Amino acid sequence: MLTLLRDLRRIRRDLALPDPDRRRSLAIRHVDAGSCNGCEHELTLASSPYYDLQRFGLGVVASPRHADVLLVTGAVTRAMREPLLIAYRAMPEPRRVAALGDCALGRGLLGTPDLIEAVDAVLGVDIYIAGCPPTPDVIAQALLRLIDGTAPGHIY
Amino acid sequence: VSRDQGQGLKSIVVDAETYRAQVMQSLAQDWSFGGLYVSPGQHKAQVRTLLIARDGSTRLISVATDGPHVPTIVDLAPAAGWDEREAHDLYGVGFIGHEPMRPLVDHNAASPWTVPVHGEDPYEVAVGPIHAGIIESGHFRFHVVGDRILHLDARLFYKHRGLEQAAQGSTLTEAMAYVARACAACAVSNAIAYAHACEEALGLVPSHGLARARTFLLELERVWNHLNDMSAICAGVGLAAGTNRFATLTERARRLNARISGHRFLFGTVHIGATKLVIDSDVMAEVRTTLATLRREAAISWRELLFNASFQDRLPDVGVLTADQARQLGTVGPAARATGLAEDARSTSRHLSYLDFRPVTVSPASGDVRARLEQRAAELWQSFDILDRLADAPVTPAAATVGGGVRSAAVGRVESPRGATTCVVEHDRGRVTRLRLRTGSYANWPSVAAAATGNLLPDFPLINKSFELCYACADR
Repeated sequence: MLTLLRDLRRIRRDLALPDPDRRRSLAIRHVDAGSCNGCEHELTLASSPYYDLQRFGLGVVASPRHADVLLVTGAVTRAMREPLLIAYRAMPEPRRVAALGDCALGRGLLGTPDLIEAVDAVLGVDIYIAGCPPTPDVIAQALLRLIDGTAPGHIY
Repeated sequence: VSRDQGQGLKSIVVDAETYRAQVMQSLAQDWSFGGLYVSPGQHKAQVRTLLIARDGSTRLISVATDGPHVPTIVDLAPAAGWDEREAHDLYGVGFIGHEPMRPLVDHNAASPWTVPVHGEDPYEVAVGPIHAGIIESGHFRFHVVGDRILHLDARLFYKHRGLEQAAQGSTLTEAMAYVARACAACAVSNAIAYAHACEEALGLVPSHGLARARTFLLELERVWNHLNDMSAICAGVGLAAGTNRFATLTERARRLNARISGHRFLFGTVHIGATKLVIDSDVMAEVRTTLATLRREAAISWRELLFNASFQDRLPDVGVLTADQARQLGTVGPAARATGLAEDARSTSRHLSYLDFRPVTVSPASGDVRARLEQRAAELWQSFDILDRLADAPVTPAAATVGGGVRSAAVGRVESPRGATTCVVEHDRGRVTRLRLRTGSYANWPSVAAAATGNLLPDFPLINKSFELCYACADR
């Protein structure tokens, strides 16, 4: 896997991400509330070597108990409403909610109207990350602003 | 040659007494089950069963519901199990002989959705709908003794958005949005299956240029998906170096998509009756170089996996699906080919540029995680070959030509990265009256449960990733 290591320096030169040297971190709990799987695929690559969110103290955790922010993808389906609320209630305070992608934001929702709703119809949303789907660097930049405590409620 | 002599969908309406005999006769003549759905209709709803011949011909057998009931065909074609359960939950149709009728889409039904498991010391492990990572939502109920899986009940449809129902009443053009956003990973495949159905319904025949542009998009989608799925299998084993290596290749494949179409998932590239895609000769030269680099680096990464003994040791005999099971369950795509079934919708895609396409199958086709991984690698090289052939000239806008009459129902069938995806469209003067999208993932979920049986519970994530099915395009 030496080729990978050789590539990394070249790969990261392309990206306009800030200096990874910061002292804060953010534990993310991802919940798919009814996405098309596009946001998941981009979020997965945000943790891949190109972007490597872990460098910035951003990590996806396996339990809401360990999480600072609930990152919600997709419009909330009727069947995912309750599991989403259970995950939110399980999180320790202070907690934040991030809506990821146009469906989560309620923009141009597709589906039967009484089966789906925007995330902020279910939970208070602190940060909106727009895009269909948002690219990994847009996701990374938005989450870094959340770490820095700047611009809550901002739409990227 | 025979591919150009396309027959459209043959549709027959039968009564409840002869319905089973008709289906049985088709199956005996080597037609395979391709889907079952309810068409609401103005008076009485009809249950329609789609059958597909080896040459890709399609036949729709319709039977009026009575009461509302129809006889089941699940004993004749076990692959119809999910379709009948979905039809029951969403349209209230009963299937006489389908006992017990377990709920599938309806999570509030009073009847039990799991299979009762008896014996010494069995216990249940419930996982999901929310999983411990970046994973789509769905629930798995494992019936386990010790670490051994006796049975798995998968409860999906947490992501059911009612896309098909929402599309009803809209124009054929408007309805494309519902199909294209059913799933990001299979967006091109689903959209082309829908476009093919609409074109057949409207009496349009894709031109050579249109077929070529679409084939290019389909293979780009397959390349990024197979790279992604190989990364996922490495993650299932816990080989971080392999996961990351194939993830970087996935990223670069998606950047190539964006370079060509302006979108990393190729959204918005498929339209009914035409393509606006332009790849001029300068961009095409760049595309060829990028594809050659991706292929070379994927080959290096693949070799590193082949010579990683502790990685290879985790793959054989895990999650075995036999060819017989695959035939029974109607398994499609790489998962079916990894059992030795050389079936691929690309062989019979009349309106795409696959020329003398022949499906590849790995040897030995052992149907385990190893075979499914090697199958993807073999198909990846094949896709690079197809792209290389198609990249010999610029891509310019093209349109379909008028070549037949308008039909009220039509079918499109495309090989997605996960297997044959079938889209049936019914319309009334250009407005959708019924739309059914049966994706490769939908067809294959029961196979995941079958492959998990008898395995160790801690191997399930690896088995699941070796199928790497979408929840989004199963749930719709």
